[in-house]
Amino acid sequence: MKITADIARCEGHGLCEDVAPSVYELDDDAVVTLLHDVLPPELEPAAEAGARVCPVAALRIVP
Amino acid sequence: MSRLTHQVESDVDLFSKALLLEGPYEAWSQLRELGGAPFMRRHGFYLLARYDDVRAALQDWPTFTSARGTGLDPRINETQIGGLLASDPPAHDALRQVLSEQVSPRAIRRLSGEINAQAAALVDEALPLGSFDAITQLAQKLPLQVVADLIGLPEEGRENLIPGADAAFATFGPITPEIQERMPFLVAFLEWVQKVGTRETLTPGSWGAAVLDAVDEGRLPEDKAFPLMRAFLVAGMDTTVNGIGSMLRVFAERPDVWEQVRDDVSLAGPAFEETLRFESPVQAFFRETTRDVEVDGTLIPEGSRVCLHFASANRDERHFGATADEFDLHRGSLDHLAFGNGVHGCAGQGLARLEARAIVTALAERVESLTLTAAPERYFNPVIRGLRSLPVKTTPRSAPVGGQS
Repeated sequence: MKITADIARCEGHGLCEDVAPSVYELDDDAVVTLLHDVLPPELEPAAEAGARVCPVAALRIVP
Repeated sequence: MSRLTHQVESDVDLFSKALLLEGPYEAWSQLRELGGAPFMRRHGFYLLARYDDVRAALQDWPTFTSARGTGLDPRINETQIGGLLASDPPAHDALRQVLSEQVSPRAIRRLSGEINAQAAALVDEALPLGSFDAITQLAQKLPLQVVADLIGLPEEGRENLIPGADAAFATFGPITPEIQERMPFLVAFLEWVQKVGTRETLTPGSWGAAVLDAVDEGRLPEDKAFPLMRAFLVAGMDTTVNGIGSMLRVFAERPDVWEQVRDDVSLAGPAFEETLRFESPVQAFFRETTRDVEVDGTLIPEGSRVCLHFASANRDERHFGATADEFDLHRGSLDHLAFGNGVHGCAGQGLARLEARAIVTALAERVESLTLTAAPERYFNPVIRGLRSLPVKTTPRSAPVGGQS
């Protein structure tokens, strides 16, 4: 499973980080960054939950 | 593959005053039960009322287009077309960009101190009264002040904002004689914004001035400047007012909820999110199909008006489980659809969250208990759900506990 982040759409709402701080982090400019290049399988549920709450649908899960 | 065996219709009037004032939740539940996309005969549109369907339609903007208007009435949609709400990518994205440079969480990070101070001042003004109307004293005053200040509007004339925004939202539903009576408020509001939305009047450095800058820099067509300012104003008013109002109602009616939030203000966020799910301020917007689509066995033909019912989706037991109709402070459902989602997801939601948190924090520092002194009175708007009045009385906390963090 892979996450893609559409940085141009990210507005810094930060809900992904609230829901899944082990997967997503906002940088100093409040832009989402992915903490893992390769997502460990045990974090997949958190990654999905975090992507789901993105208000602008900037995060996509690619199975 | 699938057989279209589920063509269902309903005569329920989703926008009727009686239904909305008495409580629409049972009717919505029945409509969700009826089928994925009932045809609402009364006004001639298809209804998506289940969570998964509303969410999928919000994300599939090429099929469920906004570009032909997001209201019900074709005359109103005509006036919306090309604006921020009634456009799709890529045209939409340029407008959104100008807006989000001002209102996105990234842009407003530095505002929280100022908004907290404004909320504290309003609470300090209201509390000595002992008993007061929490809608007019708190829920209306904070967004009005915050948004009008940010846009850079003069003090004089701000009384046009709340009635104007209310009337603007009302036009998204059927234009009944009762709604027609509110149109003078919309006209007065628009005339006032047009009059004060100028370089001479707007505060330098304000959001309003930034819109004019974008025009000067060639990033925004001149004819889009006024509609964009209007969008800021309408979207920032009734939505936040009613979100905060409904949350304060929960606090007044549920001492168990208030006590938890009072003792741990980090629960302010969860309390606001659950309120938005439980009593979604913006109940529904419309889209139009650009092709034939099938939803749960119902064929929605190309060119149909489709109602995306956020408020019903947020009560859908298919998604939120058997307790969907209960307020649960610890539900943790940030995936509610009260702000929409995707391309048109509310741009100002970060600001709404700042304002709500500011009010809760100011109250938590000062108020021991908050109780109703009379039944809250509901306000009728076909599209917005909220209260006209919320009479409460408060008892102060025995010792000031400022500086909680």
